[in-house]
Amino acid sequence: MRNVPTLLRRELGAYFASILGYIVLMFFLIVMGVTFAVVVEYLNRGPTQLTAMKIMFQMFWLPSLVVIPMITMRLFAEEKRAGTVEMLMTAPVTEAEVVTAKWLGAFVLYTLMWGLTGFYVLILQKFSGGAALDLGPILAGYVGVLLIGQFLIAIGLLTSSLTKNQVAAALMSFAATFLLLIVVNWLGFIFQGGVAGEIVRSISAFEHMEDFSRGLVDVRPLVLYISGTALVLFVTMRIVESRKWR
Amino acid sequence: MDSMIKVEGLTKRYAGVTALHDVSFTVKRGEIVGFLGPNGAGKSTTMRILTGFIPASAGRVEVAGMDVFEDSLAVRRHIGYMPENNPLYEDMRVIEYLRFRARLKDVRRAERKERIDDCMEMTGITDVRRRVIGQLSKGYRQRVGLADALLSDPDLLILDEPTIGLDPVQIRQVRQLIKDLGKRHTILISTHILPEVEMTCNRVLIIHRGKILASDAPENLMKTLSAGAPVVVEVRAPVDAATVVVQALPGVVSVTAEAGSDGFVRLVAHASGEADVREAIYRAVVAERWDLRELSRGRTSLEDVFVQVTRDEDEAEEDRRDQRQRLR
Repeated sequence: MRNVPTLLRRELGAYFASILGYIVLMFFLIVMGVTFAVVVEYLNRGPTQLTAMKIMFQMFWLPSLVVIPMITMRLFAEEKRAGTVEMLMTAPVTEAEVVTAKWLGAFVLYTLMWGLTGFYVLILQKFSGGAALDLGPILAGYVGVLLIGQFLIAIGLLTSSLTKNQVAAALMSFAATFLLLIVVNWLGFIFQGGVAGEIVRSISAFEHMEDFSRGLVDVRPLVLYISGTALVLFVTMRIVESRKWR
Repeated sequence: MDSMIKVEGLTKRYAGVTALHDVSFTVKRGEIVGFLGPNGAGKSTTMRILTGFIPASAGRVEVAGMDVFEDSLAVRRHIGYMPENNPLYEDMRVIEYLRFRARLKDVRRAERKERIDDCMEMTGITDVRRRVIGQLSKGYRQRVGLADALLSDPDLLILDEPTIGLDPVQIRQVRQLIKDLGKRHTILISTHILPEVEMTCNRVLIIHRGKILASDAPENLMKTLSAGAPVVVEVRAPVDAATVVVQALPGVVSVTAEAGSDGFVRLVAHASGEADVREAIYRAVVAERWDLRELSRGRTSLEDVFVQVTRDEDEAEEDRRDQRQRLR
């Protein structure tokens, strides 16, 4: 894994050497900024049980659906299209290093994006009229957003390794994200109670975010997403290797 | 240990296609070997297997005494590779790209800067170091790829079509560079341009349809084939007399003559085997006191060798196919 820092630096550089990184960042900030403005306006209308950041965290799926396919689509697809994968894989690096660095690069960018929403926390603090914000749920919310994000990034990386076509990679990862977030959430309305309902609840990202944004960090989603990522990255590694046995 | 590359019984099958068929060859340390073949002959496939990018379906491949599949990482450290079409990260600056590659290739931190400077100097890209690769001309990009291949000062350079897409001046520069590099490195280059091999390589491997058809020094290949080449003579003499005299010389098998309008006769003499009949013809012409205007033997170029060797193979292939059909 000693080549990971070198590869990671290249991956991060690639986002900002092209216009892509800026577009994604701009898109994210516009969506989140508008959401924040709406949330603040809504909370100003009268007393409610909700807090601003809780609503923000529950909107996590909106940028995820678009932003994650955008930052993962090129990772392998572009290397395959341009042929640079041959340069990369004939250098003394392993598949595991390359997959890890690419996943980490997208995750760092994603973390950076969400990190910028920290300004909203500062703004809320400034205008909270002296009352201290409850930081626990906010931190837990960030844990949730990053946890779910890193898993969806792994899936985006997997779809990117399947094709040379960035658009196809983005569509596949969009479809997968849509299924995992939105469709599972809908299933929650159909299966209420019983074993099926229990299963749907335990894999529903919306349910997880509900918990996290209340300040509840449960071990089960941690295990679910981290082991999910490990599995998806492993499969990705085998796909990158598959040029060797196909 | 003096063999740099050792390939034995190498076979590569893609879905439904056999790209390489039981290929064996060795490349000795310090050799510059040209891999010659038409497009689709299996040159790039062989190189990709040597560099560990794809595995073989069967056979053994060793580089610097190590198995390319078992010790893939170690083998890759010994190789500087420039793939076909020279893919590069187009969004990076030249210097950034070379720094990135040097780190990946474990060039020691203390030596890195100097090494990168040396490689840029050698390939003549120092003045474009700050430019973005995607904006460089094809010639410069090719040289960036070459600089990259040289970074780790590898024992073996594998260059897939290094001069493709360059203008004649650049081609000459790159060939000179390859020749210079050959003093310190073992080099395997592939090409379908014949003069390139004639100019730069100690040895030629002719590959066609996934098989090695010939392996020898370019001069030897040409000598073998030019042995039967006809001798052309132009003398001022009567047609019949000239034909009879030349025909009578030992070693001459057949003569055709053609009278010119200016009193000269153009004779084309075919000799048997490796015999060189030029001296005998000269002496005969002097003895007859004829005026001599030309005496030459057609020199076979590598191009002819190549065409001949691949045509023989194609014909053999057709014969086999016919035979199979007849059997059915």
